[in-house]
Amino acid sequence: MNEQLQQFLSGRIWLREHTPFPREVIDAHIDSGHIHLKPGITTSTEPNLFWQSKKNVCNRCHNTNQSYFHSFNCARCNQICTYCRHCIRMGRVSSCSELLLWDKQHARGANAHVFAWNGKLTPLQQKASEELLSSVERNESHLIHAVCGAGKTELLFPAIFASLQAGKRVCVAAPRTDVILELFPRFQKVFPNTTIHALYGGAPDQHGFAELVLATTHQLYRFERAFDVVFVDEADAFPYYADETLQQAVTKAANPDAAIHYVTATPTKSLKTTNQSVLTRRYHGHNLPVPRFDSLWGYTRKLKKGKIPPKLEAWINKKVEMKTPFLIFLPTIEMLENFPSDLPRVHAEHPYRKELVMQLREKKIPGLLTTTILERGITIENVHVAVVGAEQPIFTSSALIQISGRVGRSVQYPEGDIVFFHHGISREMDKAQDAIEGWNRA
Amino acid sequence: MKCLICGAPYKSPPTWSKLFLYELDSSTCIRCFGKFEKSQSVIDFADFRGTPFDGAVDSVFSLYSYNEAMKEYLHQYKFLQDVALATVFAGKLQQAFQSKEGIVVPIPMHPDKLVLRTFAQVDELLNAAQTSYQHVLSKITTEAQGKKTKKERLKTTNLFEEIQTIQPTNYILFDDIYTTGATIHHAAKILKDAGAKRVEAITLIKG
Ligand SMILES: [Zn+2]
Ligand SMILES: [Zn+2]
Ligand SMILES: [Zn+2]
Repeated sequence: MNEQLQQFLSGRIWLREHTPFPREVIDAHIDSGHIHLKPGITTSTEPNLFWQSKKNVCNRCHNTNQSYFHSFNCARCNQICTYCRHCIRMGRVSSCSELLLWDKQHARGANAHVFAWNGKLTPLQQKASEELLSSVERNESHLIHAVCGAGKTELLFPAIFASLQAGKRVCVAAPRTDVILELFPRFQKVFPNTTIHALYGGAPDQHGFAELVLATTHQLYRFERAFDVVFVDEADAFPYYADETLQQAVTKAANPDAAIHYVTATPTKSLKTTNQSVLTRRYHGHNLPVPRFDSLWGYTRKLKKGKIPPKLEAWINKKVEMKTPFLIFLPTIEMLENFPSDLPRVHAEHPYRKELVMQLREKKIPGLLTTTILERGITIENVHVAVVGAEQPIFTSSALIQISGRVGRSVQYPEGDIVFFHHGISREMDKAQDAIEGWNRA
Repeated sequence: MKCLICGAPYKSPPTWSKLFLYELDSSTCIRCFGKFEKSQSVIDFADFRGTPFDGAVDSVFSLYSYNEAMKEYLHQYKFLQDVALATVFAGKLQQAFQSKEGIVVPIPMHPDKLVLRTFAQVDELLNAAQTSYQHVLSKITTEAQGKKTKKERLKTTNLFEEIQTIQPTNYILFDDIYTTGATIHHAAKILKDAGAKRVEAITLIKG
């Protein structure tokens, strides 16, 4: 048996064309029963009353939404072949593709784990951290409901360390690449002897068997029955919440008896766990900045004419003058692209998102225009925030809570301006404001 | 309908040309389609003057320029093998071919390459555009064009051979992208030498 192949395939479901191993090695392990082959797509015919309908399932991402399947005349299998467009960015899976699964004993890590963290938890963090640890030890699902800036990551450390020491394979999943990129160096410092892989779209190849995997939820499509413990960070973030298959991906990547734990500031109603802890205070103990509402009547029309509404322009000018870094959240990509100003702007498809956020942090640029893509996961010292068109449906209460959570995160600057510019106050705006005031009172 | 590129739901607005000319429906939303830029460049054949390929091609028309959006499109269509994207330009390609007369000949792929890619990307664009074509040529070398210098590309003897009798009539070559023009010139020369009257070319992109 090839040990490297075992380490690579343990817990994975992998497209044959994409394995970094020679064909003969793979073939030998198929013959010896170490590797199980699955077709990329399973198609079944369901007899209806009047016609027969075909139902496809993608065996990698488990997508069953038929609008994501496309059939064509395939020159490889010389048949009508169907492929899944839902997970195509990870390499196309079609009817004639083969998926590899490791069918024997999984690889095990051999590292002696070390816990190298000497930070201090606040009493509130400590309590939540202990509650989580005991849930993890009893293998019961746990929800950490913590305000933005409560210091969620560090309170996972003890539970992760205990799991690693018990010989378990651990996964920390977050919906966005930005979050994984921020977590990776922190985890490497805290667990210096552990093999950690960070997986996201465009990540470099990483070798060996990772006892701890940090991955975007998308990357979990490529795992099956891999993890003994899973922590899902920012569990409600788009697109995780919006996409049912992503939730299935988390369940599929975990062992059937593994508990899945969630960490979020804005849990959705559908999130059900056995236990939970609530953290209503930021780690620095200061109140959360409460958003204020300010009317910006007819802003759409004015912006379309190429004019920044005076109130908003005054707000921007003041921040520039005071040298306070700022973020302006806009409801649509169109509005972002056509905003009449030289301010740099970022959206989901923007290639230099990371670099621009860095430049804002280093005060090389005064501010940034953004879509909801920057609503979570980023920390910029002393940043002030405006939401333009806060009444628009894309700004749900949880999005608005996350956006407000960007402000006042550091001890040096625990306060800051968060303003919702609007054309009429929405229920979601009220809900967000109420929730934040409620936490401050708790 | 869901946009094939961004996945957002959209309605394609009814237009006069759709009602009367049976224009094919677009499979993308207006925002995504708007990112493709019409090609403005005039293609001249200066590079081929004085070579054996001089006069092989009578005209070339490219629909779009090779901008960011097109790069992304081609990546997803060819390298991620998202065949569904063949329909994105169906309407525009159909129009382009309707304005010309002649036998449409797609630039062929080498059979080995075809099995690897699983589909012929040039043929699929024509299928989507409901434009009929004939396989008149076949590819006889697998060497990738992109890896060669311009000089080398011109020197290579016979990239293609004819597999059908060529008529003394008009031919329209079709390829996905026109970069140096070597591919189109090689194909056109074969057709001309075998007796074709006129050889025009249409490409989706001007690289
Ligand atoms: Zn899939
Ligand atoms: Zn096939
Ligand atoms: Zn679109």
